[in-house]
Amino acid sequence: MKVPVSWLNEYVEVSDLSVQELSDKLTFSGIEVEGIESVGADLDDKFVVGEVLTCVPHENSDHLSVCSVSDGMDEYQVVCGAPNCRAGIKVPFAKVGAVIPDGGFKIKKAKLRGVLSFGMLCSASELNISEESDGIMILESDPATGTPVRELLPPPEIVLDLEVTWNRPDCLSIIGVAREFAALLKRPLKMPSLDFTESGEPVEKYVKVSIETPEMCSRYTARILTEVKDGASPLWMQQRLELCGVRAISLTVDVTNYVMLEMGQPLHAFDYRKLAGQSVVVRCAQDGEIMETLDGVKRTLDSSMLVIADAKDALAVAGIMGGAESEIAAGSEHVLLESALFDPVSTKFTAASLGLATESSRRFERGVDLDLADLASRRATSLLAEHGGAKVAVGVIDCDLRDFKNQRTPLRFDRARQVIGVDISDDAMIEILRDLGLIVESNSGGSAVFVIPSYRLDLTLEADLIEEIARMKGFDNIPGVVLESGSVSTLDDGFFYDRKRCREVLTGFGFTESMHYSFLSAGELDAFDKRSSEFRAVIPNPVSGDFGVLRDSLLPQMAASLGRNASRQVESAALFEMGRVFAKNSEGVFSEEERVSLGIMGPFGRTEITRRTPVSNEEALLWIKGAVENLVNVLHAGNVNFKLNDHPAMEEGWGVDIILNKKVIGCMGLVTAKLRHQWRMTLPMPMAELKLEPLLAGVNKVPAVKPVPAYPAVNRDIAFISDSSITHRDVVKCIRKAGSVELTKIAIFDIFISKEIGKGKRSLGYTLSFRSLERTLTDHEVNESFTKIIQALKDDLKVDVREA
Amino acid sequence: MTLADLEKQQIKSLNEVAVATDAAALEQVRIHYLGRNGVVPAVMKQMKDVAPADRPVFGKSVNKWSNELKQALAAKSQLFDKPKKSGSAFDYTLPGRWPTAGSKHPISRVIEESAAIFGKLGFTVADGPDIENKFNNFTALNTPAHHPSMNESDTFWLAEDQLLRTQTSPVQIRMMTEHKPPVRIITPGRTYRRDTTDATHSANFHQLEGLYVDTKPVSLADLKATLAYYAKEMMGSEAGVRFRPHFFPFTEPSVEVDFSCHVCAGKGCRVCKMSGWIEIAGAGMVDPRVFEFVGYPPEEVYGYAFGFGIERIAMIKYGIPDIRWLYENDVRFLEQLR
Repeated sequence: MKVPVSWLNEYVEVSDLSVQELSDKLTFSGIEVEGIESVGADLDDKFVVGEVLTCVPHENSDHLSVCSVSDGMDEYQVVCGAPNCRAGIKVPFAKVGAVIPDGGFKIKKAKLRGVLSFGMLCSASELNISEESDGIMILESDPATGTPVRELLPPPEIVLDLEVTWNRPDCLSIIGVAREFAALLKRPLKMPSLDFTESGEPVEKYVKVSIETPEMCSRYTARILTEVKDGASPLWMQQRLELCGVRAISLTVDVTNYVMLEMGQPLHAFDYRKLAGQSVVVRCAQDGEIMETLDGVKRTLDSSMLVIADAKDALAVAGIMGGAESEIAAGSEHVLLESALFDPVSTKFTAASLGLATESSRRFERGVDLDLADLASRRATSLLAEHGGAKVAVGVIDCDLRDFKNQRTPLRFDRARQVIGVDISDDAMIEILRDLGLIVESNSGGSAVFVIPSYRLDLTLEADLIEEIARMKGFDNIPGVVLESGSVSTLDDGFFYDRKRCREVLTGFGFTESMHYSFLSAGELDAFDKRSSEFRAVIPNPVSGDFGVLRDSLLPQMAASLGRNASRQVESAALFEMGRVFAKNSEGVFSEEERVSLGIMGPFGRTEITRRTPVSNEEALLWIKGAVENLVNVLHAGNVNFKLNDHPAMEEGWGVDIILNKKVIGCMGLVTAKLRHQWRMTLPMPMAELKLEPLLAGVNKVPAVKPVPAYPAVNRDIAFISDSSITHRDVVKCIRKAGSVELTKIAIFDIFISKEIGKGKRSLGYTLSFRSLERTLTDHEVNESFTKIIQALKDDLKVDVREA
Repeated sequence: MTLADLEKQQIKSLNEVAVATDAAALEQVRIHYLGRNGVVPAVMKQMKDVAPADRPVFGKSVNKWSNELKQALAAKSQLFDKPKKSGSAFDYTLPGRWPTAGSKHPISRVIEESAAIFGKLGFTVADGPDIENKFNNFTALNTPAHHPSMNESDTFWLAEDQLLRTQTSPVQIRMMTEHKPPVRIITPGRTYRRDTTDATHSANFHQLEGLYVDTKPVSLADLKATLAYYAKEMMGSEAGVRFRPHFFPFTEPSVEVDFSCHVCAGKGCRVCKMSGWIEIAGAGMVDPRVFEFVGYPPEEVYGYAFGFGIERIAMIKYGIPDIRWLYENDVRFLEQLR
């Protein structure tokens, strides 16, 4: 809502306040001033009347000229590009240091194609005096050279641009804003003239009005004005409309817009002669009824939309826009002036379904003063009579079906003091509310009931009145110094700290936390795994197709982020994400689940010296496996196992299920070369994804301590060549089975493959630790067990023992 | 052995130390006198043969001898210490070898830091699902039936009554529905609005809201004090807060909350557009209609609520110029905020 200060000043005296004061008053009482526009030039002393003494073409240019300009004291050399520049004229001259209003750039000494220029000759548009201009502004009135240009121009208009919140439609008018100032400054509000003389026939002779849908239109007033001289409206009215962003058209139309801006009541003027059957019917449109609106668009209406019709056709979409047929045009002498009260919800729906938002619909949607229709009609009539010489038919047609009674709202004074937290007396509160137009109906001491004015639709509850008191009192006057402890929450938020713990463990491991959108394209998800694509949650109205589906896995985005880093020449990265995935079951029920993903790109975790050694598939996936095992371990999640799977995004033989406490809780693997190709990644990219909930189930279940071993361990190494199909687990199982109870640890120390060993075979080396909690073991005991183990490996796994 | 003998032995031993010409010779002296079967231990063993009356004097003398000898040996041995090897010094300029820790995402960092600050004031963290119903996300928050925020152009509707939450306020509704007052919570979480992504907008973002409801009076002044404390803890001790009246359907009175600009400390700079203040949060006293929706008696409870964007705090606090950086996951950005 734009409010020219000079217009505002007609209803409440504000001319003694600076623009900043006005702006602060409003902003800190609840109507935010979003911008302050200065229309017209606000020029300082750097802009003076300059006389062009000489003007010669620039040597190196076909359109520039070099002038000598006098400011009455000195002469300046100025390069000018305007075609209308010539010797002998007087023009606005911006000296070095001046700031040009249009664009805000500062004039400096400059060299233009080799010629120095000390200032600029200005056009009207550069000075913000007009929208466009043709060349520099020649001052025909021949003012004295050196006069500040400011003195030749009218003072600039200040326009406040207000952000009117949803609850304050009353401030969508100049008078509404004036009311706020009147209350804030405790100054009287002056209302505009509503006077006019009626003459001739009574209005009922001209037209009859009927409302078929009182729930959508509770009041309809009509006045008839004849012999209107509908030329241009007065200049001051045109200027005010323009300052508010409304285009001036003709007197009748301008007056309806003017009163709407002034009072907040949208009005409409019909060409009376186009009214078939001398009747106005407020009715719903017929389905498929077609009407051409003022903007020249033929619109198809339906039966949910309210129209203003004559005996035959719809003439206007109620409260939104008039029709082209009954438009006031040149030669319209007789006018039917409509001022009505339309239902907010129906107006909103009609405007939305027609895609037609107007100044009028905007006001009806949010709620117009319930008791304004006739006043606004009188105001417009008065203006048309004054400026258009209109004759006003006697009386008004006022179809008033309202069940209108001013709202009553109670207030407990103590409650107000408690909620605001400031000691304000009952009387002070009453005074604030009175200033805002509320009337005390009853006051029982502890509480009072207030009558709410018809324009304050928002004051229905006690809390609303408390807000009025708080904002008028000023929120800055509310102390914020004493911090009361209040209550301490007893609700459990362990879940939050479990997640924090997990995040800290992973960052400790070297993983950096990433975050991705909850949605992405179906294509990206499909490329990874489309086995359960039918259970994805699809967004019917995505921002774009790239964000059309809620993710059912964290892996595709993890891969993309690693890939993006790789393609930006980042050598290595380890990322994790803790986030939600979504699904929709066959019954259409949505679900969500928290997961954690891990991913590594490049030789992560190597020292600088070893970075260049190629990363093998096995090494890459063992890094992720190690992270998973450690995570499970540190979080006390239980026993983790692994099993090969056939995940479509993973290389064959390199996809693995992660099993925690006998339940599959996720998977890991090496992303296929095909998927990696889009980021030109040649190195293996290992990733994992796990459910978060089971992983965090034991975070705080730190086990009771066991005694630290008191006796030394005896270690024995064994190395052997075995078939590659024999896994580490096979070996461990075999050793464990054959070993004595004192065998406490089996650790691999070497894996080796070479031509000498032969194809399909590998050399493995293990350290076995024997230890008793009760005594020092003898060599004999250990050897006995060790021999059995060697024999078992030979017998059961057919290994070729190299060294033991 | 007599005291005189003892003295002779002592002089002899110190002399041998003095004349020793290398470390090996010195070691020979040490073994001869102080070794397990050396002279000094042997003398000690003879103590039992000394007359009881002389024993204290004798013992003292032996100790004195032993100490003096040890000192002499130590002093002399320094002459024979090998010079340190040269040419094999540690090149301390080589890069150290220890795996680097990763970093938390700036959004997590702000959430965790905020939880700690509000935790000191007695708030606990609460959370709810991303997919919400209309009642929790709009209706119970007193959103007018036809408010534009519910339009398909603003909200992601997954089904008739299912949507991606546009704010974390539904968590407040859930907690109030499930628990009697007092409820003192913060609700950090992910939220969604149908915004086109640019430097300051993201369709997927995070909010942190707070709620305190009690049966004893809770005031705007309490709210202001709470947010002032948060501002100081989060943005530095210079930070102040300012309330501007505003409108939200779920609070009455409603305010917008400005923090004084952390860059210029309120003097006015480019970051705060010369105003000295930066708009951070929305807040207010919980609207009685919200209490009705969750089944609290509106006349008997008091409460305030506040909310702000986590991305906004992170961007201001860490000087992040573009919200998209937060979702690009470039490690060269993320690792700066360890």
